[in-house]
Amino acid sequence: MTARLLDGPAPSAGAESLGDHRARLGDLPGRTERSHLIPLLDSAGLLGRGGAGFPVGRKWGSVAGRAKGDAVVLANGAEGEPLSHKDRVLMASRPHLVIDGLELAAEAVGARRAVLYVGSEHAQARAALERALAERDANRSRTLPRIPVSVATPPVSYVAGEESAAVHFVNAGDPRPTTVPPRPFEKGVGGKPTLVQNVESLAHAALIARFGDAWYREAGQAATKGTALVTVTGGTRPGVLEIELGTTIGEVAQWAGVVAGEGSPVLLGGYFGGLVAGADAWGLPLDPAVLRGHGTAFGAGVVAFMGDETCGVTTTARIMDYMAGSSAAQCGPCVFGLRSVADASARVATGQPRQDDLARLRGWSQSIAGRGACRLPDGATGLLASSLRVYEADWASHQHHRRCSVRRGAARAAS
Amino acid sequence: MSGRRALDSGLRLEIDRIACDAYGTCAELLPEGIDLDEWGYPIVAPGNVPLHLVDHAKRAVDACPVLAMRLVRAEASASVPIPPPAPVLAVRPDRTEGTPPWPPRPQSRAPKRSPEDRRRR
Repeated sequence: MTARLLDGPAPSAGAESLGDHRARLGDLPGRTERSHLIPLLDSAGLLGRGGAGFPVGRKWGSVAGRAKGDAVVLANGAEGEPLSHKDRVLMASRPHLVIDGLELAAEAVGARRAVLYVGSEHAQARAALERALAERDANRSRTLPRIPVSVATPPVSYVAGEESAAVHFVNAGDPRPTTVPPRPFEKGVGGKPTLVQNVESLAHAALIARFGDAWYREAGQAATKGTALVTVTGGTRPGVLEIELGTTIGEVAQWAGVVAGEGSPVLLGGYFGGLVAGADAWGLPLDPAVLRGHGTAFGAGVVAFMGDETCGVTTTARIMDYMAGSSAAQCGPCVFGLRSVADASARVATGQPRQDDLARLRGWSQSIAGRGACRLPDGATGLLASSLRVYEADWASHQHHRRCSVRRGAARAAS
Repeated sequence: MSGRRALDSGLRLEIDRIACDAYGTCAELLPEGIDLDEWGYPIVAPGNVPLHLVDHAKRAVDACPVLAMRLVRAEASASVPIPPPAPVLAVRPDRTEGTPPWPPRPQSRAPKRSPEDRRRR
């Protein structure tokens, strides 16, 4: 079985109540067992699910190991990635599992304050979490020490989910990334060391606390163990599903009703991710370690099937435009670089390329990464580089012949 | 950072990308280690500053009009070991709702601030 986070009632049934949640999963273990939670997360091998895949136990340890003072925990449910829906599905259907994880994290790192950071567009998720907090207030379990939990709702923005941006928003109402260091685990909310952890990661931690590291590692078919939520799009039956890590892209394609698209490229990770050629993709396991070895990333668990009828150049140009528009307009290489990338991509896509557009796109795909306060430029240009590779012939056809092989005619602006 | 073999200073240049405003002073004072892109923003050569360039690097740091550059001690980067892949077995996925738009539609809104609007020197 793969359903763990989403075991129990169907997510479409709405938020699970506190009573149902406790009846189904039981209480959290006692204080002595909970005091070993960080090493337990380490041995489980749980990786963060916000996109970067950093080991969760190590992240908690870096806040718990501070020299003095108290700390803050922030559950990151911003989910600004346009192709990802898994965090909002989790928050809306399993709010108590997320809050269990948040409270466990707060106890483990010695935090005396916690923040639920939920994208303002995720109205259902926010309502479910607020209801869940009220239920817990009215029916307090004596298991965990009580700490104040506040809800922060950043405006719709791609970069608001970046961890320094989350801290910046809670501190100053400004959801833009800040220069690091200092990183949030050193100096975050209210100047205190702050653990910023994706909501799915927290929910996994709440299950590992109950059932253990060995249980967690029973799932997982390739290198990385456990299950993960993924958002699948592009087939006839898209949706959010929980998979064992290591499930192949071909198996997910079958689930999503992708038939004709076999052999067409797949976008993994999200707008931050990378395209993989269809021929390589079908047998590829959805596993962070394996995907990294293939020059792509598990990211936030997005699997988007491009299909044969989709022009890769046009799609890439739209994503680049979105990324340029998502820039927080703080760092020069991002402001000027991503806008230039978006404009040149749009010209090539619509059959109006300048002579050197494609060559310049190739250059920018390598020269902009690593030169922003956050990793938005890295994500955007990484996706661009993968598109230039996977759709090489299509880019060349658009640039040199002003022809789109998908539309089988002149490249032009989409209607 | 330079063509010949150079002694490593153990220091590297770090740029505050938010503060940087493309004055270009750093590239003038440390051309061996800093290049400018087409918009005037610095591209720092990979690796640590060679020992014989440390004085020049310090001068470049001090001369930045917006104090956007620092010389910091380089740390060894930690890496997570990657275990080898294992064979793939069967799967029983469980469906939920949720379908984002795909492929993306054109964006209609204007960027928050166009490059032309941005204050230049």
